[in-house]
Amino acid sequence: MSSLFKQLSDSMAETVAAVSPSIVRVEARRRLAATGIAWSAEIVVTSNHGVEQEENLYVGLHDGTRASAQLVGRDPSNDLAVLRVPGGTMTPAQWGDNSTLQVGHLVLALGRPTEAVQATLGVVSALIAGTRRTEEAPKKRNRRQMGQVLADGYIQTDVVMYPGFSGGPLLSGDGLFHGLNTSGFRSGASISVPVTTIRNTVMTLLTHGKIKQGYLGVGVQPVRLPAAVAQQLDQETGLLVMSVESASPAEAVGVLVGDIITALDGQTTETVDELLLTLHGERVGKTVTLDLVRGGQTASLQVTIGERS
Amino acid sequence: MSVWKQINDEAARVASVVARSVVQLVGQEGSLGAAVVWRADGLLVTNAHVAVGQRGARTLEAVFHDDQRLSARLLAYDLERDLAALHVARADLTPVAVGDSSQLRAGEYVMALGHPWGVVDGLTGGVLIGGGTQLPEMQGQDWLAVDLPMRPGHSGGALFNAAGELVGINTLIRGPEVSFAVPVNAVKLFMREVTAQQAASASVV
Repeated sequence: MSSLFKQLSDSMAETVAAVSPSIVRVEARRRLAATGIAWSAEIVVTSNHGVEQEENLYVGLHDGTRASAQLVGRDPSNDLAVLRVPGGTMTPAQWGDNSTLQVGHLVLALGRPTEAVQATLGVVSALIAGTRRTEEAPKKRNRRQMGQVLADGYIQTDVVMYPGFSGGPLLSGDGLFHGLNTSGFRSGASISVPVTTIRNTVMTLLTHGKIKQGYLGVGVQPVRLPAAVAQQLDQETGLLVMSVESASPAEAVGVLVGDIITALDGQTTETVDELLLTLHGERVGKTVTLDLVRGGQTASLQVTIGERS
Repeated sequence: MSVWKQINDEAARVASVVARSVVQLVGQEGSLGAAVVWRADGLLVTNAHVAVGQRGARTLEAVFHDDQRLSARLLAYDLERDLAALHVARADLTPVAVGDSSQLRAGEYVMALGHPWGVVDGLTGGVLIGGGTQLPEMQGQDWLAVDLPMRPGHSGGALFNAAGELVGINTLIRGPEVSFAVPVNAVKLFMREVTAQQAASASVV
C-alpha cells in the first residue's frame, strides 16, 4: 500500500486526466488562447474577457482537433461567454454542488491554453455569498467591493491563474467542477464564478442570446448625503444624478439632474454597483418606487424599469 | 489520526529523505544555491547558472549536512540546458532516487528543496502545471512548470514527487508563484554525456 501522500498526488493527477475531455482551448483573441468548459456536446462556456473577437472563433478539443465555433452571447457582469460548436461531440462537464465546498478544501484550477490540460493547486479561501436582493435581504450590505458585479456570489481561492487559465474549471476532490475561474475581475484573489450563475447565464443566452438588464437612463455618481437626511435614512451616501437620457424611464417620470437617488424598489443605492444589482433583468417592465433627495427633502417617484438595449 | 495529519507526516518524511541528497553551494559571494548528489562517489548536479558566473567557473564549496565543507570541481556545464556537473572528493554520499519525468502528470504533487536566501533545506510544495515545449512562457525550452514559489537559492536543488523521486532540477523563478525546473530525463542524458566524456579523457596507465 503506497502512502496516503502518494495516493493523494496520484488521485489529483488521475482526476485531472479523467475530466480533461470536457476542457477545451478557446481561440478567440490574438494573444495566448484561453480555456473553456464543454457545457454540452455543442456548447462551451468560457470567460467573456477571453473572447475578444466575435468571428473566426475556434475551439481546441481533447483529441487534438480544432473546431469552428460561433458566439452565442456574453454576460459581462459575470465575465461569462457562451460559444456553440455546430455538430460538436464534446463530453459535457460534470458539475458539483457548491454547497458542499468548504473553506480549506484543496482544489485544482485547470486550463488548456495549448495542447495539454494544465493544473495548479490551491485551497478555497472564502465563499462569498450572493448579493442578489430578495425581500428578506438585509437593507445594509456587507459585501466586499468587487469593482464589478457577481450577483450570485463567488468562490475565492488561492490557485495560481497561469496564463490562459481564464474560462477553465475549479475542480474539487469529488472530481466535479465547482466554478469557472477568471482573472477578469479587478481583485488580487483568484475568483471562480459558481455553478448556479453559469447555469443561469447559459440558459438565458441559449434562449434569448443576451442577458436582460434593467435600464433607468441616468448618469450617476456616489455622493455623501446631507447630514439630516443621512440620519433620517440611516444611510451615508446616495447617487447624484449627473445626466438624464432623453426618452428614458427616468425622464418620463421627471427625474432631474441634481436629484440624489437613495433607493430603488426598497433597495438602498449607496454605490453604483448596488443600483446595477437592483436593475437586474427580473425587474424589467415593473413599476417600482424610486426614492430620492431633491432640494434637501426626501421624495419618491413611481418609475417603470426599462430594458437596456 | 486524521488523513490530513498522515499526509503531512508522510510529506515531511519524504522531504527529509531527499534532503540527505541535497547540498549547499557556497561561493565567495556567499550561498549561491543547491546541488543534488547524483552518485555516492562525489558526482553532483546543479544549474549552470549557479556553477558558472559572468567571469567563468565560480570557486565553489559544497556544504554537507554533517557540516563538512569540500571544494567542488566543475566537470562540465551546458548553458542551454542550464545544467552543470560537479565533483567533490567524498565517496560516502547518499545519491538521490532518480525518477522518470516522462511519467509526470499535470496536477500531481511536487516539492522543491533548496536553500532560499541561504536558508538550508527550504521546502515549498505545489503541483505540476505542465511540461513540454508548448507552455506559453517556456520559449521553446522543454521545462517543467510548477505552481510553487522558488526563491534565489532554490536553484540547482531537487524537485521531487510524492514518492521522493527526483523529477527535476529547480531552475527558474517566474513570478511570485510559478517556477520552472529542468526535467530529470534531460539531467540523465546530460550526466551520461559527462561520465562518458570523463571516461574517454581518462589517461590510460
